[in-house]
Amino acid sequence: MKEKPINHAGAAATFIADKPHLDFHDARLWDMRQKRDAQMHVLPEWQDLRSRASAIKEHALANLADYLEEFERNAKRNGIHVHWAADGTEHNRIVAEILAARGARTLIKSKSMVTEECDLRPYLAARGVTVTETDLGERIQQLDDQLPSHIVVPSVHKLTEDVARIFARHYGTDPDADDPHQLAEAQRLAARPVILHADAGMTGGNFFVAETGTFVVCTNEGNADLSATVPGVHIATIGIERVVPRMADLGVFIRLLSRSALGSPITQYTSHFRGPQDGGEMHVILVDNGRSARLGMDDFWTSLKCIRCGACMNTCPVYRRSGGLSYGAVYSGPIGAIIDPTFNERKYSTLPYASTLNGSCTNVCPVKINIHEQLFKWRQVLVEHHQMPFVKREIMHMAGKLMGQPKLYRAAIAGTETALGTLPRFALYNWLNPWGKNRELPEPVKETFHSWYRRNRPAAKPGQTDNAENTP
Amino acid sequence: MSARDTILATLRRNSPDPAAHPLPDPALLGESDASPERFSASLTQMGGTMLDCHPDEPLDQAIARRFPKPGLMICSLVPEATGTVQIEDLPTPQSAEPVDVTIVRAAFGIAETGSIFLSESQLHLNAIAHLTQHMVVLLDPAQITANMHTAYLRPEFHTARYGVLMSGPSATADIQGVLIRGAQGVRSLAVCFAPQ
Repeated sequence: MKEKPINHAGAAATFIADKPHLDFHDARLWDMRQKRDAQMHVLPEWQDLRSRASAIKEHALANLADYLEEFERNAKRNGIHVHWAADGTEHNRIVAEILAARGARTLIKSKSMVTEECDLRPYLAARGVTVTETDLGERIQQLDDQLPSHIVVPSVHKLTEDVARIFARHYGTDPDADDPHQLAEAQRLAARPVILHADAGMTGGNFFVAETGTFVVCTNEGNADLSATVPGVHIATIGIERVVPRMADLGVFIRLLSRSALGSPITQYTSHFRGPQDGGEMHVILVDNGRSARLGMDDFWTSLKCIRCGACMNTCPVYRRSGGLSYGAVYSGPIGAIIDPTFNERKYSTLPYASTLNGSCTNVCPVKINIHEQLFKWRQVLVEHHQMPFVKREIMHMAGKLMGQPKLYRAAIAGTETALGTLPRFALYNWLNPWGKNRELPEPVKETFHSWYRRNRPAAKPGQTDNAENTP
Repeated sequence: MSARDTILATLRRNSPDPAAHPLPDPALLGESDASPERFSASLTQMGGTMLDCHPDEPLDQAIARRFPKPGLMICSLVPEATGTVQIEDLPTPQSAEPVDVTIVRAAFGIAETGSIFLSESQLHLNAIAHLTQHMVVLLDPAQITANMHTAYLRPEFHTARYGVLMSGPSATADIQGVLIRGAQGVRSLAVCFAPQ
């Protein structure tokens, strides 16, 4: 059976209807964007850093097979077990085997988008393994049985009262608690015993270094380092695209990552794992899950440069007003809209339309992914592949005809301005006009630029024709 | 074919032209100020503090001033302070859970971010850095490096199996955007300049 496309617009409409949540979400993400800008402005070398980060990533991707082999060689030499997973199922099987071999029944983990991609938790639950997310936001989402709505701040769409309600149900805390400090402390106290008695720990990885066989985890709460150092077994799941060639390349990325994400100079923890601790064991699972295929897509391979900072989400007017869950995918926001269709073209065919194409995502991307151009390109691809809803296709067809004929277009524009100026509200703001939903239509202008220009243009000199304007 | 061989073969088949994407030389960009003043300012920005300590007083005195509550379990990993428990008496991560304060010397610090570097060489038991409630870090001002680029030239990144840059205490802003210092790792982190 074919999967239905995600109804992003429908989910967004529900999100917008809840004003307190919408207002907080919008303001919080915009605040993160502004903090990012403040960091950018104090570093004169910011654009240089972005160019270098982009160049290093493109180089690493163009030589990815070699760098993966180099990483594997060095990591193994340091005592790390290196596993390869072609897809999510294979990844989950590897994790289950590592755990089963040690009789491990409890796993603590820090946030990892790749494990979300692989849908690890239900797989392990079915095999009798209790998985506990230790990142506060991710834990809130786990308890609420929702996907993370943002790749850096997973529960950013929730208010304190929502968290209080969830914690009351699972941790027995006060359902009316209104102090985030109190709730964060409840998480700390609930997580500690679980961490201390866990059989194994799991983290993701932001970067790995071919030269040294090191992987790097950037976090703020301390839960990733607890998950890695307290149990005797540390499993790290990493997407194959996260490699950098040399240790000396990390500086560029660490300087950009948290500044772009949260507007802080660095994450509280930047942890480098080069080998197992005394008496412990360490596993790295390199996950493909569609990445090697994406590398062969001429228009989309540079999306693999992504370092998952979330800056494109924070700046996106559509994301801020629709919420991450409305994308119905592991990856939301602009970066999600260009990655998700590579996983399932039909299911995620609506996501590249969740954009105004304003280009802000591209402008803030620390590794210079041309996100808005890829969004536009995806729309073309999806039309070619007939993944466009009937109504939208018909409207586009009509618009194409209209815009292809200047006279007809001008007549329509003049008619529109008259309509905007004279029609009563009920005729403009109804279900037939989606542009009238949740926004005011523009004030009608007195005259179009075209008619103004025709009245005011300088008289053409004899013998000179105006090539740009051939109307009679 | 194994997953490994399939992945590598697909990557080689799909790779963009390597010649079109040369690797730039390692970057050395930005402010080169490696002063203790810049380090302290950055540390404060990250939520860390400078320990109120004077060069001519015993470190234990400064620790007692900072943590006046009696009966605290203090683990000192440095000869400058005594503490109440020895790291040798904490054989497992679980045994380090009740530790209130850990005193450790960082291998180096980074002025740009106020970060300090710790590895198994300084910690002996890696988990203590995250299980302890509070941390006091001794840092030799001569071991402050200017920024992230210069930091990654340090030899420790090629030798340590576990190397963590801690930049202030643990933190979270996952509940309605409210910044909370002291999330799941250390609740506070204080640095004391101490030449070695």
